Amino acid sequence: MRNLLQYLITGLGLGCGFALVGSGLVAIYRVTRVVNFAQGSFAVVGALFASTLLAAGVPHGVAELLAVGLAAAAGLLVGLVAIGRPGTSPGASLVVTLGLSVLGYAVAVLLWGDQPRSFPGVPGAVDILGARVRWHYLLIIAATGLVFTGLVWFFSRTYLGKALSACASNRYAARVVGIDVTRMGLVAFALGGALGGLAGVLITPVQQVSFDSDVALVVNGFAAAILGGLLRPGLALVGGLLLGVGQSLVAGYGGAGYQTQLALGLMLAVMIWRAARQPVLEEQAA
Amino acid sequence: MRRALMLTGVVVATLALPPLLSGSQLTVYVLLGLAAMVTVGLSLLMGYAGQVSLGQASFYAIGGYTAGLLAVHGAPSLLGLAAAPVVAAAFAAAVGTSLLRLRGHYLAFATLAMQLILLGLLSRADWAGGAIGLRGIPYLSVGGFDLREDIQYAYLTWAALAVILLVAHRIVRSRAGRGLRALATSETAAAACGVPVGRYRLVVFALSAAFAGLAGGIYAFFLGYVSPGSFPVLLSIEYLVMAVVGGLGTLSGAVAGAAAITLLVQLLTVIGTQPGMPSYAPSVLSYAVYAVLLVVAVLFLPRGLVPTLLSRKEPS
Repeated sequence: MRNLLQYLITGLGLGCGFALVGSGLVAIYRVTRVVNFAQGSFAVVGALFASTLLAAGVPHGVAELLAVGLAAAAGLLVGLVAIGRPGTSPGASLVVTLGLSVLGYAVAVLLWGDQPRSFPGVPGAVDILGARVRWHYLLIIAATGLVFTGLVWFFSRTYLGKALSACASNRYAARVVGIDVTRMGLVAFALGGALGGLAGVLITPVQQVSFDSDVALVVNGFAAAILGGLLRPGLALVGGLLLGVGQSLVAGYGGAGYQTQLALGLMLAVMIWRAARQPVLEEQAA
Repeated sequence: MRRALMLTGVVVATLALPPLLSGSQLTVYVLLGLAAMVTVGLSLLMGYAGQVSLGQASFYAIGGYTAGLLAVHGAPSLLGLAAAPVVAAAFAAAVGTSLLRLRGHYLAFATLAMQLILLGLLSRADWAGGAIGLRGIPYLSVGGFDLREDIQYAYLTWAALAVILLVAHRIVRSRAGRGLRALATSETAAAACGVPVGRYRLVVFALSAAFAGLAGGIYAFFLGYVSPGSFPVLLSIEYLVMAVVGGLGTLSGAVAGAAAITLLVQLLTVIGTQPGMPSYAPSVLSYAVYAVLLVVAVLFLPRGLVPTLLSRKEPS
C-alpha cells in the first residue's frame, strides 16, 4: 500500500511532464495542423539553459523563468521556419520541425556537451500516509495544475486565447473576421515552446536530461496528446497522467525497463483503435 | 539515348572505382551502397505510396540481426543473407496490417515507436547479445570461398544495389506502379478506379523493408558485429534526409541523395577530427548538416536535388 502510493505520486509527477509536452503539441496542432516534432527539444533546451543559469548562481525561480522564456523564443523560431513560408503543407512542416530538432542536437552538444545534466530541485521529502515522497514531485503536480488552470482561463477569457481557438475551429472564418492566422500560428508555437520548456525545467531535478532526451519526450507527449485526437488539452492532461502512472506502476512492480515499450505499445493501440473507429477521409482536400 | 549513355557511364564508374580506393575509402564506399539500398526503398515508400516512415532503420536492424544470428548459430552464411530481406519483409507485413491504417503524422510517430520498441527489446534480449550486441559474426562464404576483403563486399553491395534498383524500376514502370502513384495523390480516387489500396500500401511497405533488410544483412557480415546502438533513431532520420534531398519517388535521386549525404558527412568528419578541433566537432557538424539540408530541401527544393537539376538542364 505504501509502495503503491509512492508509485502513484511519482507517476503523477512524471505524467505531468508528459502532459505539459503533450499540451504544447496540442496548442500548436490545433491552430496550425502541424505536429511539432521539435516539442521535446524545447524541454531539453529549457532544462539545459536552467542548469547553466543555476550553476552561474542565478537564484531558483528566476533561472527557471528565464529558461522557459528561452524555450518560448525557440518555439517562435521553429514556428517561423516551419510555417513562415506561405504554402508549406502540414506534412512538409512536420519534416521541417524534425530537421530543426536535429539542429537542436547540434546546438545542445555545442553549448552543453553530450553528457546528461541535472540540477537540484526542491530539497527534502515528505511522508504522506506512510509513503516517502520527494517534495519536488508535489511541486511538479502543483505547477502543472496551475498551468492547466491558466490555460483554461487563457483560451476562454482572453482575446488572444479566443483568437487562437477561433483559428483552431475554422481558419477561413477566423481570417474573415480579421484574425491573422499566420501570426496566431506563431503565437501557438511560442506557447508550445513555453509549455515544453516548463516540462523540461520541472522534470530535470528528478530525471536527468541530455541532448537526445527529446525523442523520448516528444513520443511520450504525443502519446499523451493522442487520447484527445491532438485537439483537446484537457484530454492531453488525462493521457499524460495515465501514461505516467502506468509507467511508474509497471516499473515499480517488476517490469523495470519495459515501461517505455508498454507506453509505446499503448500509444499504437490507441492510434489504431481511433483510426479503425473513424475511417479516414480527411486531408484529401486543402 | 543520353540516358542510356549516362547509365553506362555510372555503371562503369562504380565498377572501376573499388580497386582505386584505399582501405577506409572502401569502407565508406560499402556503407554508401548500403545506405543507398535503404534509401531506394524509403523513396519508393514515401514518393510513390505517400507513406512517411521514421523507422526504416528498424528493418535494417532486423536484417542485420537475422543474418548475424543465423550465421553465429552455424547456418550457412548465404542462407543468413537470403533470410535477412525475407524476415524483414515478413515483419513489415505483420506490423503493417495494423500500422498502415494510420496516415500522415500518425504513421510517422507509429513507425518511430516501432523502432523504439524494437531497440528496447533487442537491448534486453540475451539471446541476441543484449545491449552489448552480437559479436563474432563470420565472414560471408559462398561455396566454401570466404569473402574476407573489403573490396569483395564493395562489389557485393553494389551488385545488391543494382538488383534492388532493377526490381524497383520494374515495379515503378508496371501497372502496379501507376496504381501506387495514383493512391499517393488521392486514395479515394485510386480506390474508385479499382486500385487495391490497402494491399498495395502493404506490399510497398514490405518491399521497402526487404531492401533495408538485405542491406542490413550485408552490413552484419561486413562489420561482423551488430548491436542496438548500431541502429539509432538518428539513422532512420538520416535515411529520410537522403531520400528527401535526393528527391522522393526517383530512384536515381535516392542513390544520389545517399551518395551526397554520405560523402558530405565523411568530409565533415575529416574536417571535424583535424587537430585543434574540439572532440564534439564531428557530431555537431553532422547534426547541423542533416538539419540544414533537410529543412532547405523541404522548403526550397520540394522535388529534391536530382529532379530539380535535371529540369534545369532540359527546360521543357
